[in-house]
Amino acid sequence: MRAVVSSEWLKLRSVASTYYALGVAGLMVVLGVVWSVYVSGLADARGSVRAAAPEEGFLPLVQISLAVIGVLAVTAEHATGMIRTSLTVVPARGVLLFAKTAVVTAVTFAAATAVIMTTYAASRLVAGERRLGFNESSFAENVPTLLASALSVTVLAVVGLGLGAAIRSTAGALVSVVSLLFVLPGIANYLPAPWNTRIAALMLPNLTPQLTGERLSRRLGDGILPPWAALLALLAYAAVALGAGLYVLSKRDA
Amino acid sequence: MVRCAGDPPYLILDSVIQLNHLTKRYGDTLAVDDLSFTVEPGHVTGFLGPNGAGKSTTMRLILGLDTPTSGEALVDGRPYTTMRRPMAQVGALLDAGAVHGGRTAYNHLLCLARTNDIGERRVAEVLDLVGLTGVARRRVGGFSLGMRQRLGIAAALLGDPRVLMFDEPVNGLDPDGVRWIRDLMRSLAAEGRTVLLSSHLMSEMALTADRIVIMGRGKLIAEATVEELTTRYPTLEDAYLALTAGSVQFGAAR
Repeated sequence: MRAVVSSEWLKLRSVASTYYALGVAGLMVVLGVVWSVYVSGLADARGSVRAAAPEEGFLPLVQISLAVIGVLAVTAEHATGMIRTSLTVVPARGVLLFAKTAVVTAVTFAAATAVIMTTYAASRLVAGERRLGFNESSFAENVPTLLASALSVTVLAVVGLGLGAAIRSTAGALVSVVSLLFVLPGIANYLPAPWNTRIAALMLPNLTPQLTGERLSRRLGDGILPPWAALLALLAYAAVALGAGLYVLSKRDA
Repeated sequence: MVRCAGDPPYLILDSVIQLNHLTKRYGDTLAVDDLSFTVEPGHVTGFLGPNGAGKSTTMRLILGLDTPTSGEALVDGRPYTTMRRPMAQVGALLDAGAVHGGRTAYNHLLCLARTNDIGERRVAEVLDLVGLTGVARRRVGGFSLGMRQRLGIAAALLGDPRVLMFDEPVNGLDPDGVRWIRDLMRSLAAEGRTVLLSSHLMSEMALTADRIVIMGRGKLIAEATVEELTTRYPTLEDAYLALTAGSVQFGAAR
């Protein structure tokens, strides 16, 4: 197992797509600074504003770009035929998928945490003493939300990996990930009350606020899941996707 | 003597490839049909048959990439998929294109080596052996087919295995490379290894192989030594054309 994990770690580090995906995720820092400069200007004119926190507003950018790492970890192998070479040297298919999961989890959690924390720090530095809304609580109060955001990024990347193994196509897996993140929650929004909130509470992006007991949105109001249930639901997304991926990888001819 | 389909297989030995009533069906197509034969150590065994005969499928079944519909393929008396470190037992080149083009030759081999706890020194050795040391840090995407064949052979040799399988390794190689493969195959067999080699180049096969297995339409057509075939027929090519006359599925009338 350790040997296969070390191989997967090298696979991830030795292709350019990994660095492009990390670079796009890193754009959150730039966007966060630009946003903070902009709302700081508004605050200087008006005295104070209530602006959204950039590490929350730009979170989908990090979620999508790092989910690409999870998707490509397996679909790039199907696209090139490398999967057959990989399964020849590691015939235990579950071991191969587990090693990929371990590496994708570690890399995306570390990258997401770094990008989110850097954006947090940079935007507060730009804000200084101004009252922008998002900078009026302490770091200790914000830590749970920051970690929940990083966790949601990691789960989405693992979901991408599992769906990639199940669908065996980069485009198909990416469309599925985008659907989970944007399309399905968008549809849930327009269901009649109280079903909009009930269904939306189970949607992947809405689990993040529920992890820390925050409301879903102005439109949907409070979530219905306590933090532990939101955590379970988040992990269930990863487990179901990985289960589907493992099933297809084990049962079907490579 | 020429052993024909239906006769019992040879004795069970170490480092042999043994097929027992191996059958693979894809939908309505019977790709491999009740195939039984044994590949023994110390020889180069040529694996011949028209396009679509089932040679590549047979090799994929031996490596556990595809699951047999019935029957079994054994290496050293066990199914390939039960091997924990298969590279030390079996090396295979099925498809030289089955590599991620964005990875360098060195990193590609190191990714494979790490899965079986093979060190960097061995990676450098096999690169040297196949003559790719000078381009080890170049991306595989820029390699010619001949260079990819050499890379695939390097991967097969990484674990210094007792059993080797090559599917059309000569394709795309220059005359130097063709002779190099011939000498390599013969020296691997002379060291007591089991070598199964498929090719459509009859003149090349006559120079390289000691024994011949001929398949057509998924079935075993003949199993003989090159000497036996060239005694009964003017050349190996004549023997092949006579024996496969009824099994050609794709080709012009002859």
